[in-house]
Amino acid sequence: MNPIVSCTLLITLGLGTTITFASSHWFLAWMGLEINTLAILPLMAQYHHPRATEATLKYFLTQATAASTLLFATTTNAWLNGQWDIQHMTHPLPITLFTIALALKIGLAPPTIWLPEVLQGLDLITGLIMSTWQKLAPFALLLQIYPANSTLLIMLGLTSTLIGGWGGLNQTQLRKILAYSSIAHLGWMILVLQFSPALTLLTLFMYIIMTFSTFLVFHLNNATNINTLATTWAKTPALTALTPLLLLSLGGLPPLSGFMPKWLILQELAKQDLALTATLAALTALLSLYFYLRLSYALALTMFPNNPTGTPPWRLQSPQIVYPLALSITATLTLLPLTPTITALMTP
Amino acid sequence: MLEQNRVVFEFRNPEDLESWTVSSDREIGGQSEAYLKLGKYNTCFFYGTLSSAPPKDGETRYSGYCTMRSKQMLASFDRKQHYDWTTFNTLHLRVRGDGRPWMISVGAETYFAHQKDDMYCYFLYTRGGPYWQDVKIPFSKFFLSHRGRIQDDQHPLWLDKVNTIGFTLGDKANGPFQLEIDYIGVCKDYAHTEEFAYEVYKRNPEV
Repeated sequence: MNPIVSCTLLITLGLGTTITFASSHWFLAWMGLEINTLAILPLMAQYHHPRATEATLKYFLTQATAASTLLFATTTNAWLNGQWDIQHMTHPLPITLFTIALALKIGLAPPTIWLPEVLQGLDLITGLIMSTWQKLAPFALLLQIYPANSTLLIMLGLTSTLIGGWGGLNQTQLRKILAYSSIAHLGWMILVLQFSPALTLLTLFMYIIMTFSTFLVFHLNNATNINTLATTWAKTPALTALTPLLLLSLGGLPPLSGFMPKWLILQELAKQDLALTATLAALTALLSLYFYLRLSYALALTMFPNNPTGTPPWRLQSPQIVYPLALSITATLTLLPLTPTITALMTP
Repeated sequence: MLEQNRVVFEFRNPEDLESWTVSSDREIGGQSEAYLKLGKYNTCFFYGTLSSAPPKDGETRYSGYCTMRSKQMLASFDRKQHYDWTTFNTLHLRVRGDGRPWMISVGAETYFAHQKDDMYCYFLYTRGGPYWQDVKIPFSKFFLSHRGRIQDDQHPLWLDKVNTIGFTLGDKANGPFQLEIDYIGVCKDYAHTEEFAYEVYKRNPEV
């Protein structure tokens, strides 16, 4: 794509999210979301491939549906409450509609069927933008909505963790696996939203760091399925040693950083007397852990000690800048000891 | 995940033939004939007569094709089901032809892309004679065509949503033909690392 066009679209993407962050009026927030959607569509469709077109079309349809539901909720709220302010909402009907609309926007279950298909049709960098940046604006709104419907949020959270875990089990395509991983992580974020929004933010932040690392690792190795991962040891042996740790951090295993949000969420749920919810969430995390372990197995435990049966790929110098990846992998693996500091910072 | 070979189509009983559609230019007024039947030893026999005489409708100038194509797989409630061949990279056929050149066409899912006539094609040159032919065609060799015309903007075939596979004869040689197929399968060739066989030139290059 022409660099000027790419720049314009990326800046517009940033503009949309910033507008939503900065708005206190629902209409302006909706506009920010729409700008975000429209800006990413050309980035998704830039490769002239039917699968990219399909991903763009599906993304547009779901986001348009969510945006129209959001607008409907906005006007309902204005009709019932007489005002458009985001933080002053009391009626449960518009709040429920907002929650459902934003759940569709970010890809929470049950309306999550679009996310794996869309991510599968994108290249890894656009997929990274969609999995990370596009979640910020809807979460900014979700964090400001008064959680009137506690049951809905818990059901959305548990369903997402379940579907995210189960759906990823039968996948060999890495982008779909990351989509189901995204769904599961979003479930964890929503579970604790009503009890501790700061924890939701922390989980989102950790998820963004881990997903950023994962996408960049796959991009560096040009890997889109598990079979390709199995040959990355020949291309980037040092990174191949770190990537299983990165994946296990995504799975939430101690002593890696990914354990931090899960631990704090389970602690918060237990404090709120939701032991059953906490147990179910922890059990569904095992499903996700299985496919992360499967990726780690393909990466690091299938190396031949002698001549491999296949042709090893050429070890070429990659043009990708690796400093952001180095920083994010360090953060993904080593932030757990900072938990007390982070917890102290989170409490007002 | 570690599956290396899979037989996708084999021909053991008449129900296996039900998943194939046979057509020829007889549908547009031509004179070719094509039939499909079960062979003697669990094979399928695609045979007939090719005629390149165009239909007498005053507008068609060229004709002469016979084709067999697999039907769209359907799930419950008539939902489309796709073949997921992402773990494989090679099409493996065991055929016995009559020396004629065939075109293998793979149709991927095009509903959302609005390009329903897109097909990914490659050639199958058969040897005549009594010996079976093991043909392995990497999927990276398949090129994109739209309504039979090769496209400028080529891209590799994505194997996650394959709908149909077909064999077409259109070599302008009038006369009888036959193609016997033992099985159609897919396999993973670890030595084949090519992603796409054709150069894609940059359209609208910066000057």
